[in-house]
Amino acid sequence: MDLQLVSLEIGACLLGIMVLLVDLWTPAERKAQLGWWVAGGLVGVFCYSFTIFDQGTGTGATGYVKDSLAVYFQGYFVLSAVLVVLLTQSYAARIRSGISELYAFTCFALAGMSFAAGANSLVLLFVAVELITITFYVLTSFERHRLRSLEAGIKYLILGAASSAIMVFGIALIYGSTGALDFHGVARAANGLNDDSMMLLYQLGVLMTLGGLFFKLAAVPFQLWVPDVYQGAPTPVTTFLSTGSKAAGIVLILRLLADACPPLLGEAWLRQLLALMAAATILYGSLCALRQRNLKRLLGYSSIASAGFVLLGLVTLSDQGAQAVLFYLTAYVFGVVGAFTVISVVSEESSDEDISTLANLHQRSPLMATVLTLSIISLAGVPPLAGFMGKFALLRAAIDSVAVHPVMPWVIGAALVGVVISFYYYFTVIREIFWGKGRFWAEEAPSTEPLLCPRAAEVVLLTCLFGLIGLGLFPEPILFIAGEATEYLFSAN
Amino acid sequence: MQEILFYIFSALTLLCGLLVVFNPFSRNPVTSAMFLVLTIISMSGLFVLLKAFFLAAVQILVYAGAVIVLFLFVIMLLDVKEEERRRYQKFGTFLGFAAVTGLAMLIINTIKQSGVSQALTGDGVAETKPLGKLLFTDYLLPFEIVSILLLVAMVGCILLSKREETAEAEAE
Repeated sequence: MDLQLVSLEIGACLLGIMVLLVDLWTPAERKAQLGWWVAGGLVGVFCYSFTIFDQGTGTGATGYVKDSLAVYFQGYFVLSAVLVVLLTQSYAARIRSGISELYAFTCFALAGMSFAAGANSLVLLFVAVELITITFYVLTSFERHRLRSLEAGIKYLILGAASSAIMVFGIALIYGSTGALDFHGVARAANGLNDDSMMLLYQLGVLMTLGGLFFKLAAVPFQLWVPDVYQGAPTPVTTFLSTGSKAAGIVLILRLLADACPPLLGEAWLRQLLALMAAATILYGSLCALRQRNLKRLLGYSSIASAGFVLLGLVTLSDQGAQAVLFYLTAYVFGVVGAFTVISVVSEESSDEDISTLANLHQRSPLMATVLTLSIISLAGVPPLAGFMGKFALLRAAIDSVAVHPVMPWVIGAALVGVVISFYYYFTVIREIFWGKGRFWAEEAPSTEPLLCPRAAEVVLLTCLFGLIGLGLFPEPILFIAGEATEYLFSAN
Repeated sequence: MQEILFYIFSALTLLCGLLVVFNPFSRNPVTSAMFLVLTIISMSGLFVLLKAFFLAAVQILVYAGAVIVLFLFVIMLLDVKEEERRRYQKFGTFLGFAAVTGLAMLIINTIKQSGVSQALTGDGVAETKPLGKLLFTDYLLPFEIVSILLLVAMVGCILLSKREETAEAEAE
């Protein structure tokens, strides 16, 4: 096995172990500063692994491929991990013990995600998903002195374990009916299944495996854990959960559908099922977000809605849809990280996550108000920001596939209704920033004191600002790379 | 003979599994853990029938032995009393039953329609030597990832169970 092929994952793991060791010799007050080194290290490791891809090692170790799709997602995961590490550093004051472990666990979760990006067999799929999920069990309950964090951890543990059990049962059924574990072997064996009895088992297996992955994605009806876990987990963990963990589910679903299920892609029921889930997810996320006052819960529901938009791209089962999904995710990461960073800084000062704490933010910190406004506008999908281009690409892919998929017009209709509803709750946040009166029962007016933003959070905010505007005005480079990554994904069959 | 044994072992597995979570006679956690041991032992019987002797042995050594002993340790250290009977929300119970019944119907119907009835026989891959060879050649990468996973689980356990430094300082 070529070790250079997995250099990114090895690098991330080594970085994590090194942080755990360096922690022993670092004085307590300087431990938070390790974040700069971790972020720098991750960027270095990624650059090194990228040069190896250029030398043309396309495939190699069993069960693992490093094709352009894997590299795209690995770049995405490293980007969100670096932003999350910097966000963690500005959050450090609220972590009572084990800040270095928080950095280390981010690195381990990153390793799991980048294994998932290159997973080409059911074994690697399961192991990668477990590495991610088990790391997040610990991460969500990291603030043990807060009851909500513990509650989030327990809920995520029990529901995650149940979904893993269902997924591993599905994998067993796939193996039992096809006798293969790598995706292409499964596809070859499944194409040869003319015997109805085994075909049924294979279909059930694929469905159950997809179910476990949809849990990561938080698609209806696997979304029940999202609001409580998002609210209870420490803000950096919530951010990583909604960017990294979700995307790991998406890349695995893409690979499983495209590589292991060619005999099913033509079936009407699979498309109808995905279409129904997409519509239900978008509407559920948007409708439930309407009455939320807690900012993290609000973004939790909004992340369910965006999982629905990702599904909209998956329903098309086409290269164009997959390309749109990749671009939408990249645009999404800047919006979500930007919004969560501001929430993290504001909620530290007021020790509350209610939407009214944002009042007068434009006077207290112009930078944070600008980034939060732009992030929210981008998430809502208003031109000319990144989020608009993402939603536009998804809708265009969906409209292009209307001719092939008879159910498509209904899903597009549901998506448009979802977009309109989402304007309402997104603009509630913006109204609160500029015209908020604070809590209606509070006696004094909201403070107008300047709000200091930590250096690390400032770096994150500026990166997000750059990304949001840059991707909105010049989407072509990323669209091109996403197109390269998804070329022949579905059309090869 | 094999078929009869299969039915005995699977019936035992299901019955004991049910008694772990739903025991009308006792609500003592230690009893539940003991039924878990019985579930695992009858499951290893199923592995023996499939000629997967190594897995059967590991099942008993690791699960019935080590893991359950740890379970019992935790139960006794935490001094868990008999669980109180509590009321369940009607809606939640209904939803849970509906979900489980739906999934069970899906699986049972599929297996029925697929007509998989021929007795499965082991192919000998699960013996110790071929298994070890596979683990260190074809499945080396997943095998190594599992070691990272164990590291994460270990560090996580220590982290979540040790006393918080600052909390201690405040108490003093």
